[in-house]
Amino acid sequence: MPDIEKEIHGAVFTFFSTASAVGKTLLSCNMASELARQRKRVCLVDFDLQFGDVCNYLQLLPQRTLADVQQAMLMQGEACHVEEYLTPYEYGGVVFYVLAAPKKLEEAYNIQSDYAIRAIRQLQTKFDYVIVDTTSMFSVLNLALLDLSTIVTFLGIVDFIPTIKNMKIGSDTLNDLNYDKHKIRMVLNRSNAKTRIGIDDVEKLLGEPFYHILPNDFRAASQSIKEGIPLVLKTERTDLGEALRDLVARYTNQGYEESDEGMDEYVGESWLSRIFG
Amino acid sequence: MINRVLLVERDRLMLEKLTQVVQGTRGFELVARYQSISDALGQGAIFNPNLILLDIEKQNSVALIADFLKVYPKASILCMGEKWQAESASHIVKAGARGYIIKPFTGVELQEAVDTFAKMGSESGCETLVFFSPKGKSGKTTLIANLAVALARKTHEQVGIIDADLQFGDMAVFFNLAPKSTIVEAARDAKFLSPITLHSYYMPVTQNVSVLCGTETPNLSDKVSIRRLENIISMSRSLFRYLLIDVPPGFNPTSIAAAEKSNTTFLVSMINDAYEIDHTKRALEIFKDWEDYNERVKAIFTRVEPCNSQSQQNLANKLGYPVTAIIPNEYGIVSDAADNGKMASDIRPDSPLARSVDRLADEITGRGHRIRWEKS
Ligand SMILES: Nc1ncnc2c1ncn2[C@@H]1O[C@H](COP(=O)(O)OP(=O)(O)O)[C@@H](O)[C@H]1O
Ligand SMILES: Nc1ncnc2c1ncn2[C@@H]1O[C@H](COP(=O)(O)OP(=O)(O)O)[C@@H](O)[C@H]1O
Ligand SMILES: [Mg+2]
Ligand SMILES: [Mg+2]
Repeated sequence: MPDIEKEIHGAVFTFFSTASAVGKTLLSCNMASELARQRKRVCLVDFDLQFGDVCNYLQLLPQRTLADVQQAMLMQGEACHVEEYLTPYEYGGVVFYVLAAPKKLEEAYNIQSDYAIRAIRQLQTKFDYVIVDTTSMFSVLNLALLDLSTIVTFLGIVDFIPTIKNMKIGSDTLNDLNYDKHKIRMVLNRSNAKTRIGIDDVEKLLGEPFYHILPNDFRAASQSIKEGIPLVLKTERTDLGEALRDLVARYTNQGYEESDEGMDEYVGESWLSRIFG
Repeated sequence: MINRVLLVERDRLMLEKLTQVVQGTRGFELVARYQSISDALGQGAIFNPNLILLDIEKQNSVALIADFLKVYPKASILCMGEKWQAESASHIVKAGARGYIIKPFTGVELQEAVDTFAKMGSESGCETLVFFSPKGKSGKTTLIANLAVALARKTHEQVGIIDADLQFGDMAVFFNLAPKSTIVEAARDAKFLSPITLHSYYMPVTQNVSVLCGTETPNLSDKVSIRRLENIISMSRSLFRYLLIDVPPGFNPTSIAAAEKSNTTFLVSMINDAYEIDHTKRALEIFKDWEDYNERVKAIFTRVEPCNSQSQQNLANKLGYPVTAIIPNEYGIVSDAADNGKMASDIRPDSPLARSVDRLADEITGRGHRIRWEKS
């Protein structure tokens, strides 16, 4: 029997949240950069279709976008090659590719999730890692994306109670969707920001500890956005940059033992029961 | 004041049914009833009614109301029909009726209708204000909650809030409400509701502010169809002087439908030192499809530092469009308030935040511009 070349399907890492402005785009840009720095083949996909920030945060001016991919798929069917629609990002010898969100709002509004998902499937055959940035809601597109993802990073911040309510709703909904326990990773961003709400209260409410915690550093974050250089690629070291690298290392199993993740941790009452009681 | 009711209903059985309801309701006295309109116009005045319950089903309601107003200039007219229809409802109010009630009704509904329409004042007309943001975390829910309270305090008029941020509506948390009914039930029942019965789905917050709360879980958002939402908005317009609507971020069927129904759509973004102004610009381009976008679309920025006219002008320059209001950075106050289910402007009525919200309320009520000669 002849040896059939096996198709390899790369991993899909999706950043999702149910509260906005929690750092999905910042994290996805940094994860793509860090993996690319490790010489992995990486594609970053912007599924914040209407107001995507990936090309803003990386200061890219894409010639072609997901809208062109959809158009090509409609016209050419299987003959469409998604890799022809990517925009490279390059800094200090590190390279990865971006599938940009549509330029026009009308185009964004008319993206059909079937085509968007097909694009991801195709990219999986070409890249080791496909990193996907999303919007904060349970849309048809996001649900399909969550299904096919290897790992979903459910990102949260602790600013005020409505946000926590929405995180709880999000994690309950993800539970209802019955994904494997290890597929969904809850990550807390901006952990030491000004707030009166304790992290352990939030963990109790969500019923599990955070997989990873990232510090608050607004100056570093907004500086890197202004320059268009992800923190992990900068020569200047920051706590936030290091914490981001650590996160990527854990996702690729470099030198980290998986902890028990406190599976049987006691989940008690908390003062947040004002809303959830 | 006792309601002296003149009941006009063509259908004999319905007339009987409604007679019993009116007679059985405290505060209402049935002084005369007719099946024939001509009889009602020619004879009813003898009994000096002050409330006319008028069947307008399958009739030229506008002409009919005009006839009754001529004979009964001091009475309030409540039209009765079998089904709520937004257009006919606004026609009858324009024609001079107080409102509309679906028959048959219960005594409680009758009482509520009379109370509500009395509070509204006759020539009210509703300002529908939609708060649109390109992305989440714009500060719009905070703004809506505080603005609603400010509008009610200043005008003593009825103010309603619809939380149509269907998946992640926060309004109930902001006002510390445990809603018995939400937009989901209102949408489910919308077909059978009139404004009066819809009112009971709203949760009262203060004497003049009520909230139609959002869904409890995101999966319920499917239950609120666009048609029903539009229906709810139309009906709510006859309940409130100001109707404030919170919608999901970005362009989606919900936010678009609400904006289409609005008198004013506020485009709200939070200053975050990133790309918020670009996002606002792009969103604005879409709204420019409206011929009257200049009057109808207003830009607001929140968390502006320093919060002064210079910043406002700078933002307007960058945006290439006037900026109607700026709200200062007051994270401490607003998050404390939301955590405790209170209003920031109530906790600190003298704060810069409360003052900017007040200014926006003045702008909306027209007090910002008009010199008021007469004492109010
Ligand atoms: N760890 C952090 N510390 C401080 N600011 C942060 C941090 N992560 C993100 N931010 C800031 O938060 C804002 C929202 O981040 P973004 O990645 O755009 O969120 P999302 O994509 O979830 O909407 C940005 O202005 C960013 O600079
Ligand atoms: N004027 C303001 N200054 C500083 N922070 C604010 C202001 N308004 C809102 N916030 C904060 O911003 C976050 C989002 O506010 P919210 O009103 O819920 O916005 P949205 O409804 O657009 O998501 C909350 O943490 C809130 O406390
Ligand atoms: Mg983003
Ligand atoms: Mg909100």
